[in-house]
Parts: sequence; C-alpha cells; structure tokens
Amino acid sequence: MTSLISIKSVTKVFGRGNSEVHAFGPVDLNVETGQFMSLLGPSGCGKSTLMLMIAGLLDVTAGEISLNGKVVTSPQTEIGIMFQENTLVPWRTVRGNIELQLELRGLSVTSHEERIANLLSSVHLKDFAERLPHELSGGMQQRAAFCQAMVHDPKIMLLDEPLGKLDAMTRESIRTDLQQLWMQRRPTVAFVTHSIEEAVQLSTQVAVITPRPGRINCIIPIDLPFPRDLDVKNSPKFTRHVRKIQELFRGFGVI
Amino acid sequence: MASGSSNQSGIASRVRKFIDQSWLFVAFFIAFFLFWEYSVVLFDIPRYILTPPSDVVRNGWADMPRLLNYTYITGLETLLGYVIAVVIALPLGLAIAFSTFLRRTIYPFFVCIEMTPKIAFAPLFISWLGFGLLPKVIIVFLVCFFPIVLNAILAFNSLSEELTRFCRSTGAGPWLTFLKVRLPAAMPQCFVGFKYAAINATVGAAIAEFIGSDQGLGFYIQITTGNMRPDLAFAGIFFLTLLGLGLFGLVTLVERFAIPWHISVRREAIS
Repeated sequence: MTSLISIKSVTKVFGRGNSEVHAFGPVDLNVETGQFMSLLGPSGCGKSTLMLMIAGLLDVTAGEISLNGKVVTSPQTEIGIMFQENTLVPWRTVRGNIELQLELRGLSVTSHEERIANLLSSVHLKDFAERLPHELSGGMQQRAAFCQAMVHDPKIMLLDEPLGKLDAMTRESIRTDLQQLWMQRRPTVAFVTHSIEEAVQLSTQVAVITPRPGRINCIIPIDLPFPRDLDVKNSPKFTRHVRKIQELFRGFGVI
Repeated sequence: MASGSSNQSGIASRVRKFIDQSWLFVAFFIAFFLFWEYSVVLFDIPRYILTPPSDVVRNGWADMPRLLNYTYITGLETLLGYVIAVVIALPLGLAIAFSTFLRRTIYPFFVCIEMTPKIAFAPLFISWLGFGLLPKVIIVFLVCFFPIVLNAILAFNSLSEELTRFCRSTGAGPWLTFLKVRLPAAMPQCFVGFKYAAINATVGAAIAEFIGSDQGLGFYIQITTGNMRPDLAFAGIFFLTLLGLGLFGLVTLVERFAIPWHISVRREAIS
C-alpha cells in the first residue's frame, strides 16, 4: 500500500558553487491517510521548504515526492494550503475570501453555501461573515483563513506555521478550533511548527527535524485521545511527550 | 463611528467634528491673507512687485472672461495629456510587468528617461510642433506617463509570495488569477502613480505655455508679469491651482470608489 504523502530521499540545495546552501535532506517520510503529521524543528531547518516541495511549488534537488501514488512535478491542486501570512485579500469580506477559493477552482459557490456556513460557525465567525479582513483581529483573520483553506474539502492539507504570528492566548484557542475542524473530516495534514506543545497537542505523529540541513531525527506517535482538551494537556502522558522532545532538541543544542 | 445614534445627530456630530478639526486651518488661512494684505501697506512694497490679495480679487474679477477662457484651454491640455497618459501607460505597465522581453528592453529605457526632467524636452516639442495645443498635450503626457507606467509595473509585480502560491495551488489559469486577484491587488499602487501624475500635470501644462504659447494660464501669467501686473499673475496662479486641485480631487474621488477597502482611503475617511 502506498502512503498518501510519500517522500523518498528528498534533498533541497539552494544556489550553486560557492554560494551553495544545503537546506534540507535527504529525508524519507510517509504520511498515511487521516494522519495529522507535525514537522517540528528549529527555524531555518527547511520545514517550510519541504512543505513547498510537497505542494509542487518548489522543485526537489534530488529524490521524489508523491501524493496518492502520483509523483509531484507541478503545483498540486488537490490540496489546501496555508501560510504564516494568511492569503485573505483585503477587498473581499470573510465570506468573499472563502468563496475566492471556490471561484479560482471553478467550483459552484451556491452548492457550497452550507459548507461555508458550517465552517464559519465551527470557528465562531458566523456574525463576521460580511466583514472585511482589516476589521478582524489577527486571530479571527487566521480562523477565516482556515475556512478558506478547507472550503473545497481537500484530502490533504499543508499548513505552514498558520499560528506563527499570533499571541500565546489566541494560539491556544485557535488550536482547539483547528482540532475540531480536523476531527470533522479527518483530512491528512502536514503541519509545520516550532512549538513543541502545539505539535504534541494537535498531531497523531510528530516528525522531529534537526537543525540545517534538516533531517528527520525520529517520528514520535502521539497516542493521546482526541479531542485534546485541557485535561489531556495536563495529563502526565502529555507532559512526558513534551519532555522527551525537549530532550531531543537539547541534544541538538537548539534549546 | 457612534452606534445607535440617529442619522441626523450623526450628521450634526460629523459637522461638529469637521469644525473642531479645521478651525485652526481656517484661522491660519485668514491670518495669512490678512498679513499679506497689510504687509504691502506696512512695508511700503511697490504694487508692481506685490499686490494685496484684495487687488488680485478685484482686478482678476474684471478680467474674468479671459481668465475663464484660458483656464478652459489649459484645463483641456492638462486633461487630454493626462487621460492619454493613463490610457497608454496602464496597459503598457501591465505588459512590461508580465513580459520578460519588455522588462529587459523598454523598462531600463524608461527608467533612464524617468531620470531626465521631461520639461527639458518642452522647447524641442514647441519648435517641432509649433504653438498649438498638440505640443502642450504631449508635454503633459510626458510628465504624467512615467510615474503611471513605473508604478503600474511595480503594482503588477508585487503580489505577495503567499497569494501567488495560493493562486497556483488552486489551479486557476492566468486570466482568472489576473481578474480575481492580481488586478484588484495592483490597484492601490496604480493609484499612487495616478495621483502623482495628477499633481504634476498642471506643472507640465504651465511650463509648456511659458515656453511658447499665445493663450492659456501659463501664457497669461508670463505676460501679466512682464507687464508689471502681479495682481493678474496671482489671479492666473489661483486658477492654475484650482485646475490642479480639481484634477487631483477627481482622481482621489475615483480612488475612493475603486478601492474603498484600501488603507490610504480608510485613513482619509478617518481623519
């Protein structure tokens, strides 16, 4: 059986000759259907680079990535992506921004009305559907961006530090929303983060990535029940996972 | 914005706010003109050097038919030059932004010309094309063209990396991406060019008329100054200012309707 996301000895090198930078790899990684895989590593380890390569937005220098058995050679469209900087356009309302995803894909907006309403209420933005992005707080903007990234119901989601710019308290509450959204349809997720707690809370598996050139040190399955609410987060098992990963990064000299 | 207040009290509070914010400016304006009016008497400045504003108004009023006619002429030159510049520069900027060939050929050439003061070409155009309308329109066009084209190139080239990637991940074609994302995203930077050009358009028209003309406000200002009539020259300057303000106001108004969501428009609405 082939994995939904399959990464085989992928390497990325930027530049040539003297200015050559070995950014990433070689890395092997498989993400099975329905998994929430966090790519956890220090900044500059090439996590985002890997994400772009999976999306087909950046070429691999060596190796091969395939999605659902098909080798990635061009930008992938059967995915939902999200970045640290959200992709909401300032001239459209929250609803308009969600519809933009559909319009660009040539999908019918009317047949997705219910889907949009459900997504908006899942992230508590029902009353803000007709607001422009600049009228929302940073956290609300990111919530709207989640809806935009998921409205076409992608089987694979690539999330590149979507909570990176938010304050600690907002992050905490959005994680809960993100988990809810994920549990509804269980898409396969690759989630880039440098927060250990975030990775442990959200993921079914955490891939620990070394400093540059990024390599996968180990993959840690997180066998905690969903939803991971405060009780789960305060459990000794949760703390053990966090501690274990902290030890790994201390070994790399990162923390 | 006060919520819950009725429409009428909303207007009343807006008027009050406007008065609160602008009375200082109005007071300064009045003080400036009073100082001008009485300094001429106070410092015994000869009338052929500087005239008090009351003379400007009185004598300007007496010469109103000529002033209005010249305002029309200069306004026509300005508007024609400006509109032609927008119509040509915007698509050209778009083409340069998306064509590697044009970016390597025309673009550096434009950047070089942008460094040249366009006004320096004015005498040449007058000598080539005579005293009529055409050389003035061309000079206004030249003054307006480059800021519009350069800002348009910048505008169409500066879509954020994230949005570019987002669009590619949807599989949308270039035309759909352009209509839904690139074009609206480029509008604010385009308007920077439109506004800059609008400010400079009347400068171009006036200077072109200084150099060679037998009508228009630039011609009027030059002639009246030569005749030791600074009062009439000031009247001419006043109408030239009105023209500039009119064009700039028009462009700003269009901007408000075109991109009400943009921060430059929102800030104006607040202050």
